[in-house]
Amino acid sequence: MASGAARVVSAILEYTRWPTEHPVIRLCVAGAPRHAGRLNEVHLPNEAKIDLSTLSGPADPARNLCDALYIGQLAPLPLGRLIGDMRGKPVVTIAEDDPDCRSGAMFCLIFAPQTLSFRLNIDAVSRSAVRIDPRVLRMSKGRY
Amino acid sequence: MTAPSDPAMPTLRTVLARVHMRLILFAVLMAGATLLITGVVVIRGYAERNLSLIAQTVAYTVEPALVFDDMQAARDGIATVAASESVRAVEVRDVRGRLLVDWRRPDGGMMAAIARGGGLLAPSPALASIRRGQDVIAHVRVSGDAGGLGRYILAALLAGLTCLILTVLATQMLARRLQQDVTAPLARIAEVAHAVRADRQFDRRVPPSDILEIDRLGRDFNALLDELDDWHAGLLSENRMLEKQATRDALTGLGNRVMFEQVLPGIMARADADGGAFAAVYIDVNRFKQVNDRHGHDAGDAMLIVIAARLRAVLRPGDQAFRLGGDEFALILAPDIKREDVAILTHRLLAGMEQPIMLPSGESIVASLSVGSALYPDDSADARDLLRHADAAMYAAKASRTGTHD
Repeated sequence: MASGAARVVSAILEYTRWPTEHPVIRLCVAGAPRHAGRLNEVHLPNEAKIDLSTLSGPADPARNLCDALYIGQLAPLPLGRLIGDMRGKPVVTIAEDDPDCRSGAMFCLIFAPQTLSFRLNIDAVSRSAVRIDPRVLRMSKGRY
Repeated sequence: MTAPSDPAMPTLRTVLARVHMRLILFAVLMAGATLLITGVVVIRGYAERNLSLIAQTVAYTVEPALVFDDMQAARDGIATVAASESVRAVEVRDVRGRLLVDWRRPDGGMMAAIARGGGLLAPSPALASIRRGQDVIAHVRVSGDAGGLGRYILAALLAGLTCLILTVLATQMLARRLQQDVTAPLARIAEVAHAVRADRQFDRRVPPSDILEIDRLGRDFNALLDELDDWHAGLLSENRMLEKQATRDALTGLGNRVMFEQVLPGIMARADADGGAFAAVYIDVNRFKQVNDRHGHDAGDAMLIVIAARLRAVLRPGDQAFRLGGDEFALILAPDIKREDVAILTHRLLAGMEQPIMLPSGESIVASLSVGSALYPDDSADARDLLRHADAAMYAAKASRTGTHD
């Protein structure tokens, strides 16, 4: 099993339900990720395949095909625009570099020396077209 | 008297109370045991189902925490689910048996001790698997405690004890009621039976009862008493008749020698008590044998009957005449009589005899009597001596008669 960010991403994807069932989940990476190295190792227990792709930039038209978006370091403006584009669409957004979770991404990873946890933007989750298993809410930092 | 009743012999009330006690005790114990056993089985079944539900809920709750590898979240989830007090411990182990999360109810209190004591009754631990997709990633094991069962059994035992106490009280009351309804009428019958037997109160009757059998018994008993009463009355009159026959002379209707001997002591006692006197008179028919020989026994009998009637005629109220046998008669002249009175009476008697007696053959005959008397207590204060005195006087009169004429 993948460790670190890959593990959390895998868990998040596992508890995410899209409006239509996807045999292949397209996971896009945007910005400059620091921990996305092992995302290609992610696999889900429900036999769904992960199709990992990297967006060339925040305005890459391929972003409209993404089922999940892993956002590395990105300037606030394009970050806001990218997340704004995703709003209302069936896309899970995971921000790697937003510990306070103000960017509007649904999940924000929090890296600590020994542990990796995440914060949840409940507003973003409720507005999104994807559904997150409520049990995951308990896992988030701050615990809803 | 009734036979002395054995003190160890139980009364009807005791027997009834004992029977009731046994019956109700049996019923209460049966009902109690049945309720207890079915209750324990049902509650244990529910507890096991409850545990299995809790195990499944724990598995469901803990699953994402395991996926996220967040054991604190898993522990919090378990604590929320297992807050129900029937859970003692929850363990989550991965497929290799390694302990991932362990939760234990904080110990303490009497109920925990009871729960531990009821280890046998505790439901068996429930197991559930945590799956991730198709793969089992961990197992949940939830152990329950017997707290609920213990409380149930305790409550049942308390209720049973209360029921037993109520049973004893109810038995006493029932026995008292039954005693009033059953024993009291029976006691009345027994009392009447005793009165009839001991005091010959044949007029006593058993009052009616509200209980059919006892009422029937009472009626039969009363009917028996009626028959006994009649029988007793019959016996009395028969006895009286027999007594009369035994003490009366059949021919003359006078008292016989037996009666004479019975009456004499009473007269003497009365004379002694009053300080009065009485006279015993012996009378013999002169030449009665010749009358018999010459005129036949019929003539003798007729003569005796007429003499008896004439004796009666001269008696005063309170005097008594007896035929002692053959041609011998005796008189007892009632208290407070003087020698002159005896002489007057004797004279009247002898005078009455001068009238001829008509025999059945048509002939007539004159009877003559020898009369001897003795006065009590002047002549003798001893009965035998008194009679001897009278006898001697009579023989003296007879001798003087033969000496003079006819």
